[in-house]
Amino acid sequence: MSALLEVKDVVTAYGKIEALKGVSLEVQQGSITCLLGPNGAGKTTLLMTTAGVLKPKAGSIRFGGNEIAGAAPRAIVARGIALVPENRLVFPNMTVVENLNAGGYPRNDKAEIAADVDRMMTRFPVLKERAMQDAGTLSGGEQQMLSVARALMSRPKLLLMDEPSLGLAPLIVEEIFRIIRELHKDGATIFLVEQNAHMALTVANHFYLIEQGKVTFSGDPGSLAEDEVIRRAYLGSARA
Amino acid sequence: MLVDLIQNTLDGLTIGAAYALLALGFTLIFGVLRRINLSYGPAIMLGCYAATWFHVQFQAGLLALAAITLAATVLAGAYVERLCFAPHRDRSAIAAMVASFAIWMQLEELATLVLPNHLYAFPALYEGGPLGFGPFTLRADALVMLAVTAVACIALQRLLYRSRFGLAVRAVIDQPVAARLVGINLPWVFVRVFALASAIGAMAGYLIVASAEQVTPMLGMWSTLKGMLAMMLGGLGSLPGAIVGGLALGLIEAHSQWFFGPQVRDLTAYFLLFLLLALRPSGLWTTTRSVS
Amino acid sequence: MDDYAIGVLTNIGLFSFLALSAYLLLIAGEMSFGQQAFFGVGAYSGGVLTAIYGLPLPLAALAAMLLGALAAFLVGLPTLRLRGLYFAMATLAAAEMARILFELYRFQREIDGELVGPDGTQGFRGIRWIFERGIEPEGYLALVWGLLLIALVFFVLVERSRLGATLRAIGQDPELARSCGISVERFKLGVAAAAGALAALGGVLFAHHNTYIEPRNFDIMLGVHSLAYALIGGLGTAVGPLLGVVLDIGALEGSRVFQGYRMIAFGGLVAVLLIFRPRGILDEKAVHWLKARFS
Repeated sequence: MSALLEVKDVVTAYGKIEALKGVSLEVQQGSITCLLGPNGAGKTTLLMTTAGVLKPKAGSIRFGGNEIAGAAPRAIVARGIALVPENRLVFPNMTVVENLNAGGYPRNDKAEIAADVDRMMTRFPVLKERAMQDAGTLSGGEQQMLSVARALMSRPKLLLMDEPSLGLAPLIVEEIFRIIRELHKDGATIFLVEQNAHMALTVANHFYLIEQGKVTFSGDPGSLAEDEVIRRAYLGSARA
Repeated sequence: MLVDLIQNTLDGLTIGAAYALLALGFTLIFGVLRRINLSYGPAIMLGCYAATWFHVQFQAGLLALAAITLAATVLAGAYVERLCFAPHRDRSAIAAMVASFAIWMQLEELATLVLPNHLYAFPALYEGGPLGFGPFTLRADALVMLAVTAVACIALQRLLYRSRFGLAVRAVIDQPVAARLVGINLPWVFVRVFALASAIGAMAGYLIVASAEQVTPMLGMWSTLKGMLAMMLGGLGSLPGAIVGGLALGLIEAHSQWFFGPQVRDLTAYFLLFLLLALRPSGLWTTTRSVS
Repeated sequence: MDDYAIGVLTNIGLFSFLALSAYLLLIAGEMSFGQQAFFGVGAYSGGVLTAIYGLPLPLAALAAMLLGALAAFLVGLPTLRLRGLYFAMATLAAAEMARILFELYRFQREIDGELVGPDGTQGFRGIRWIFERGIEPEGYLALVWGLLLIALVFFVLVERSRLGATLRAIGQDPELARSCGISVERFKLGVAAAAGALAALGGVLFAHHNTYIEPRNFDIMLGVHSLAYALIGGLGTAVGPLLGVVLDIGALEGSRVFQGYRMIAFGGLVAVLLIFRPRGILDEKAVHWLKARFS
């Protein structure tokens, strides 16, 4: 069976500088697939390319068998991919509820959107507490949960997550990853980008290492010694 | 003395209402596009000139003139958006602004070619004397101005906070990358916000020329300057700030003109803006919002 | 060459100083809507010094440049931390204040039976130093262009030097420049003062060419024009702003072809041009290409 997401030889450049130099990987349906690597390796660039915010110079991205490389973000959301971006990017001057409604923007089934908002509040009780507060006043961890909930509002088939642990205290990080496990148990397919290799490996079914714009390793957790993984995720290897 | 103070305050609020509308239009465009549209005033002027031309040719009625002003301004605004802003979307802000300046020149010359005089009469909003309230004078068109501005602000508020379109606009203003990620079509929003801003500007322009009962070629530059000044006073990028800034500008002008005359009036406004920018760039209204 | 052509060429020359002034700030990363104020400072001070105090033009010009630099410094200091649009609006506010001050400025003396000097909104007549010395239009043209050429040579030398590289670095990424130990604020103030002096020089030359100036000459239109000249001509080289001035004043006004609808033509041209070349005709890429071609 072919993978839900197939990335082949994708090249993305900022002007003349190539951030992705031919990246290939796969995300299987129902899995948590992780992409690990140091800062600047191209993790965010890959997610932004998949989400349509950046256009690849070359290569193909297939989702459920359909080519999506170069499509506009709204088309990609319509196909069922949602991105929880790096640094959360909540709408700071809109309330929690409005943020969730924005997440459901492409949908027009108003009653179901409202029902989904309620479901999010149930799943993330802290959001219910702060429902009418401006998102900018939430703590980092609360914003992260809001960002995840907002992405879920479009009922995606594939959830992309960009460094959800960034800037969060260890206890909050554990909470976030508990939620990731929960979502996975409920049937979600997740493509997770992280620098926190240790936490990522606790949830991953499969992982890739990316260094300087190229995938340098692919395997299951355990196929590479954890400290080796962590070293390469933070520093990159000498060979890359 | 107190009577003068209150009278000036009333006059200041009246013109301030027009300034507030102008500032709202500027702020909508800036909030969403992060660019200053230097053709904003000129598009309004073109709209008013189109109405004037109709009045000169056909003696059209007030409502018809209002409709023509609205249509012509929105059309001119769409022209500006397509030529000056759409092509520079992901590129240089300066290029867009200089392009909008170039079209300012174009629109102004177009208007003066069609109607070359320095002054044209414009039908008044209210044919009748000013209304007296004890020692105060309030012109009926001033009341209309205040009423229309209030209604426009309420309508805008409802549009922005109770509609799907409004949600999209606020999302784009707040966090454009996230707005794209949730599937909002940014160019679609830009075009509609531009039209909305043009419509609000047309309203302001129409009220101003109908109150003054005349229209001059200076209207373009004047509207742009006042709109920008009010917007910056209230805090760049803030919609409530635009209203506060507009009213504040009107009050500052009315009072300083009374005491010191027209030149000092303008001097005061610019000086206050300069001071504000040097000390507290975020404006009179906004607190923590940062606009890059 | 007829007097009209000489007049046009002279105007191109002296407005180029204003365009260079805006260009200098753009290179350093700041957009100014207010260079016309320093143009005006130069015009008024130079005019007063020659027409009322009888100073020779070179001396008056120098003094005017110093005043322009000082005025620019005074505007630049409180606005140092401002960026982008905030800075632009601050310069606009300052320039409009200057214009209003020109409207309020009255200083007249009787010279040879005539009342000479700035008279508020009525303007400033009688700046006749050039004519009183019998300097021919061609002579003045040579003077203006001679000075402009000196300025251009200076610019080219600076562009090639480390100073030029520093300025462009500040313009493109001030944070990065700061982290390299560059005192961004000091440079910006220096640039502001230099730009003020340049604009003031243009102003002095303008005042003596016209013999009559009024506050309306120095309004926001002039300011945005100077910005437009710099951007259209191209930000890759100091010749860029010059090109912008030539295109507007030279080709369009000079040729008398588009009489009556010059701005409709020019405005449309500029907007379309910017779509294809957002950094002007002689942008950095074009300049690189030309250098490669001719080296």
